[in-house]
Amino acid sequence: MIFDPFIIAIFAAGLYMAWNVGANDLANAMGTTVGIGTLSLKQAIVLGGVVSFSGAVLFGSRVTETVAKGIVPISLIDAHSVMLGALAATLAAGVWVTFATYLNLPVSTSHSIVGAMLGFGLVAVSQGIISMGDIVWVVLLKIAASWVLSPVAGGVVAFLLFKMTQRLLERMDDPLKADRPLRFLEVVASCWVIFALGSNDVANAIGPLSAALGAVGTELPILVLAFGGFGIVLGMFTWGYRIIETIGKKITELTPANAFAAQFGAAATVLVCSSLGMPVSTTHTMVGSVVGVGLAGGLEAVDLSVIWKIVFLWVLTVPIVMVVAATIYLGLMII
Amino acid sequence: MRYMRSILGIFAESPFKPLYSHAEKACEAAYKLEEIVQAYCEVDVEKVQELSEEISGLEHEADIIKQEIRKRLPYSVLLPVNRQDVLEFLKTQDGISDSAEDVAKLMTLRSYALPKEIKSGLLEMAQMTMKTIDAYLRVTERISQLVSTSFRKKDIKEMLELIPLVEKLEHEIDIIEILLTKKIFLAEDEIGTLGVFHLAKISDVLGDVSDNAARAVDRLRTMMISI
Repeated sequence: MIFDPFIIAIFAAGLYMAWNVGANDLANAMGTTVGIGTLSLKQAIVLGGVVSFSGAVLFGSRVTETVAKGIVPISLIDAHSVMLGALAATLAAGVWVTFATYLNLPVSTSHSIVGAMLGFGLVAVSQGIISMGDIVWVVLLKIAASWVLSPVAGGVVAFLLFKMTQRLLERMDDPLKADRPLRFLEVVASCWVIFALGSNDVANAIGPLSAALGAVGTELPILVLAFGGFGIVLGMFTWGYRIIETIGKKITELTPANAFAAQFGAAATVLVCSSLGMPVSTTHTMVGSVVGVGLAGGLEAVDLSVIWKIVFLWVLTVPIVMVVAATIYLGLMII
Repeated sequence: MRYMRSILGIFAESPFKPLYSHAEKACEAAYKLEEIVQAYCEVDVEKVQELSEEISGLEHEADIIKQEIRKRLPYSVLLPVNRQDVLEFLKTQDGISDSAEDVAKLMTLRSYALPKEIKSGLLEMAQMTMKTIDAYLRVTERISQLVSTSFRKKDIKEMLELIPLVEKLEHEIDIIEILLTKKIFLAEDEIGTLGVFHLAKISDVLGDVSDNAARAVDRLRTMMISI
């Protein structure tokens, strides 16, 4: 059953989504550490690979479950339709993310996959396979709330953490003495971010895949998570390293103190979301954390207009991906 | 770089290092004043002309840095200090090179043998202006240090302690300027009414150079004290 052409296609589409996460989101989370110069590019890539893979395998199952069966009740749908839906959802998210990446728009892979799964669910409703009430609206509402709350929470944690670090630094005669321990903490925090990212974003790639596998009765949780983790690492190795390098060079105003606060804030938030099974955007949470540090006076200049851009894309992503997923699904039905 | 979704957009370009570059450029223009006053007192018309052009060039370069900094500060940019304070500081700092250019321009308009006491008064003012500019740069070069330690209170305090020297020197220049202006008015018989008008204007604008420096450090204090 696993050699069904549909399943193979879902694997391929999932790999592409995982690749996207590794090439962009993971690279974003790691660029900051390279920017401070604590880790070399090579060290960052090796560390990022190992840690994000562990995050995906060890902690990725909850969010994957939410994406796979938390939104659309796949147990009520026949196996063939689930496979079509999983393929359509993964492809739709992949198309939208690729398009946005081409335009340098900071969209979220998590938002895309959730929107895509909803699109599949609504098509199933329109075909009378399930009823409108079968779609788990409560979970969708929780997810939507987590999308708003996660950047805010990241910002609050980062704000408080930076203020505390700043207090400690104030007391020291020679702030350079704190540099080494802060750099160490920053590397720890960035590992944590990468772990959190792996644990949350792996679902964007393999959520629909595990739904399809579940429908055909071949659940392979650990192996599928490892497959997603592998895709993320592959994305970083083949493309992400260039983005890490660019970001590392361009973000010059980060110090161990403010980077530590921002990463810690994002990591803590995303990891809590992972354990609650909420697919949130790691990138948006990091943006929230950076704003938090900025509000604490820890950054030279923060451009708040990006926030509006993100909110705008946030509102845009879900309906667009829904429509694309539904269209692909209907197209696949003809085949 | 194309084909990337990144968080780079949230990091706006910092205005702080360019603020110091602007200070350096404005002061470079002001540093030429000692030479041009010397040449003016020696009635070296060519040299005055030459130096005046150099000062104009530096003033223009400072203007370009100023515009670059302003471009970096749309309303959406969040800074650790008040944005308006930064703009006001930049404006007054820019006044240093503006006034230096005005002095130079005035000196190209009219040239004549000056009475000894007026010469010495002008030279003394120019030398004191150099001292003010030295002190001014010692304050502003602290900006980049503040940035690297994320505006530590301790470092801000150290910077603020350097500011009164600029203000003290500016006050001393004011006194010299008043004495010089008196001498200029007394020399009407030697230099004529137009000469009095012209030289009084020069001493006035020369005083503006350190006036602007003092005003700029005051702005800087307002900017930093609220952190």
